[in-house]
Amino acid sequence: MGVLRIVTFLFLVSCLWPSWGLCSGGAKPAVKLPKAKTIAELAARYDSSSCQECHEEIYEQWENSLHAYSILGTPRTAPTVLTGVDKGLKLFPYSGVKEDKDIQVRHLMFCAKCHLPQLEEATDDVAVEIVKTIRAWMKEEDEDKAEELEEKIASLNIGCTVCHNTRAIIHKWQYGYPQPDTVYGAQEGEHEHPDFTKMAKSPQLSESIFCGQCHGEGPNFELDEPSQCATLYGSYLFAYIPEGGHESCQECHMRKSGLGHDMQAYRSETMRKMALRVDIDSTSYFWRKNKAEGVIPMALVNVEFFNKCGHAIPDG
Amino acid sequence: MPYPGRFGAGAEMGRGPYEKCGLVRDTSLPPLRTVKESFEIPFPYADVEKDGKKTRELTADELNVNTTLWYVPFGEFDGNEVAFFSDERKIELKSEWIWRK
Repeated sequence: MGVLRIVTFLFLVSCLWPSWGLCSGGAKPAVKLPKAKTIAELAARYDSSSCQECHEEIYEQWENSLHAYSILGTPRTAPTVLTGVDKGLKLFPYSGVKEDKDIQVRHLMFCAKCHLPQLEEATDDVAVEIVKTIRAWMKEEDEDKAEELEEKIASLNIGCTVCHNTRAIIHKWQYGYPQPDTVYGAQEGEHEHPDFTKMAKSPQLSESIFCGQCHGEGPNFELDEPSQCATLYGSYLFAYIPEGGHESCQECHMRKSGLGHDMQAYRSETMRKMALRVDIDSTSYFWRKNKAEGVIPMALVNVEFFNKCGHAIPDG
Repeated sequence: MPYPGRFGAGAEMGRGPYEKCGLVRDTSLPPLRTVKESFEIPFPYADVEKDGKKTRELTADELNVNTTLWYVPFGEFDGNEVAFFSDERKIELKSEWIWRK
């Protein structure tokens, strides 16, 4: 009986251990910040420049990544948002959007869920302003003005605090809700920053599931009008892992690549080189094809591609 | 438009990240698996008449073959294409060949 009690106690301890060791979140913050009313306000709330002073190298890496241009894109994301508005929202009979002024935050979430999750903290005026700004940028012929508009669009991005605060904890009932004064990473303690004064460990920041929040599994069925772009995490879970793969997203895209927070994909030569093993074999022969065409002198090139990635390529 | 053109219904598919739930055929390279492709390239030849007989002659017995794996996001070489891999090699067919039809 005593042994059973000890085993039961140890089992309960093991169940609770993860939440003890990584008790980084807390109660759902009772007070929410008022919704941002302009792009500038929303951008300021998620501005990463205050992180630059102490984390210069990481900041420079991030600045080169597409996370820093998540709405602008390469720049093909911003025009795609407009196509979604003009060829989608305005033509859908039940979207409620006939003109740009009808656009609400919920309408843009088909893109913003991943490209700008913080849009949830903004008023519908910001959704309208985003569309208006992209439209103006695409039409602007004056280079300086176009650049100014481009900077405004680029001010909306997946900055430090999106990953290291708002999206840092996935299972909030288990680990608690991200706290407004805490930056989540690999360490805990005090943090020299006027707003984020504490550091806490994020239970999943270095796990693939963390990236899966945006680089997801498939259509966003939770939306009234599901969209779908990134499915890498689905490919990771249902194709890579069953084949025996065991690396995490961060392992390849951050550590082995040496790119750190400059997380890249096919546009990076480093990532392209890491992605594939290609074997080519060739030979030549005479092919006695048929009576009409006779013998054809032929070269044969056999190509074998082995995809070393944790997901199918390409994904776009 | 970030939706599949036919909303994932029917047999029509398109290209693009948002078209994936409308896929009916996947040509991507799956992870940790080998995909093989073979390419047959005829050497250039000409059918000529020699001594009153029709015969076939190789006009080149060497080919410079460039193999490039392209990712073409918009289906056209419009400046957005990316080469994942490239290889150039010479393939020879220098053995003696007597054409017999």
